Amino acid sequence: MIALTIDAIIAIGIVWLALQTVRGANVFSAIIMFIVFGLIMSLAWARLHAPDLALAEAAIGAGITGALLLVTWRRVHVLEGRTPQVGMAARSLWLTLPTALAAALLIASLGWVALTLPAEPATAGELAWQRLPEMGVSNPVTGVLLGFRAYDTLLEMAVLLAAWLGARVVASELRPGALPGPAHEEVPLVGALLSLVVPISLLVAVYLLQAGGSAPGGAFQGGAVLAAGGVLLCLTGRLESADQTSLIERIVLILGLAVFSSVGLMMLPLGEPMLAMPGVWAIYLIETALLLSIALTLVLLFAAAPGLRRSS
Amino acid sequence: MNLQEVVATALLLSGCFFYIAGTVGLLRFPDVFSRLHALTKADNLGLLLICGGLAVQQGSPRIAGLLLVIWLLGLLAATVSCHLIARRALQMTDPEQRP
Repeated sequence: MIALTIDAIIAIGIVWLALQTVRGANVFSAIIMFIVFGLIMSLAWARLHAPDLALAEAAIGAGITGALLLVTWRRVHVLEGRTPQVGMAARSLWLTLPTALAAALLIASLGWVALTLPAEPATAGELAWQRLPEMGVSNPVTGVLLGFRAYDTLLEMAVLLAAWLGARVVASELRPGALPGPAHEEVPLVGALLSLVVPISLLVAVYLLQAGGSAPGGAFQGGAVLAAGGVLLCLTGRLESADQTSLIERIVLILGLAVFSSVGLMMLPLGEPMLAMPGVWAIYLIETALLLSIALTLVLLFAAAPGLRRSS
Repeated sequence: MNLQEVVATALLLSGCFFYIAGTVGLLRFPDVFSRLHALTKADNLGLLLICGGLAVQQGSPRIAGLLLVIWLLGLLAATVSCHLIARRALQMTDPEQRP
């Protein structure tokens, strides 16, 4: 009874927050609603016994994406030289109603088709589950991400790198500059917070990476947590924008793709298919490289800078 | 219902009370400072009571330790963000009308 009530509250909350995100009074409140939406979403994943997704949604969906949206909102207003009080674009009833009706029709027909389909006896999931022990990791999510759909994961990394390159092109045109606002003046409590939270974020990131083999965790969640530490360092002025991407940063940015591709090609001469994992060590090596690349890409996206350096 | 469950339920319910009180304060209080007061004080105590209730419910020293770390981290984040918001609000208010 209590479980059902909690599920109902989460389900209604998700729909309500999604509506508020779209219908927010202004962009700022829409962003806040989106962050809360991500948090409730991660609760929903936790209730569905998908802790990996819950962690990813909380760290990436709510945390990093929320920070990116908020900093973009701030920067847009600085670039436009206006006070942050812009409303959402005016709604058009003539567009809203047909779009909503068409979307509702689409979802209803998809749901109807899904309900009338006969249950598939053997899906890829069953097969993957049976052959998971061959991967050498006991967490099925990590096994699927790097073993059974490694190609998708590799391309996800390529997408992340492409997104950063795209952001670089836009940023070199717009020149957003340093973070605006009075955040850079020194507040004593902030130093104390950083000296505790940044090492903890590193610790949690390494833990998530290590735990990914047998428990919820992995490169994406760990990378997002490490990036959160980097975002804090940027926000408090410990790291500042550099004019150039340094050699180390360039290497770390492509590390995930490079290590993943070279390990994937390694087994090709031995007659194995591309992206076949040569062993558990390869999984951890790739995950470590992915974590570093993901974390640096996210922090550089947040800073909207070609590179970062320690502030003097 | 044994003693463990009674204590756990009592702690969880009183934790919920503090969360509700903090939320009502956030919605009803007139300015930033009193809202922050309601929010952070109530949430810190509420989080402690809920972590305590869960620790009693689980009865495992390891989980109790983890919940303690969660509470301490929550406390740290709430304290610093409250301080920063209050500081910013103080800078933005007119010096004549400062509380």
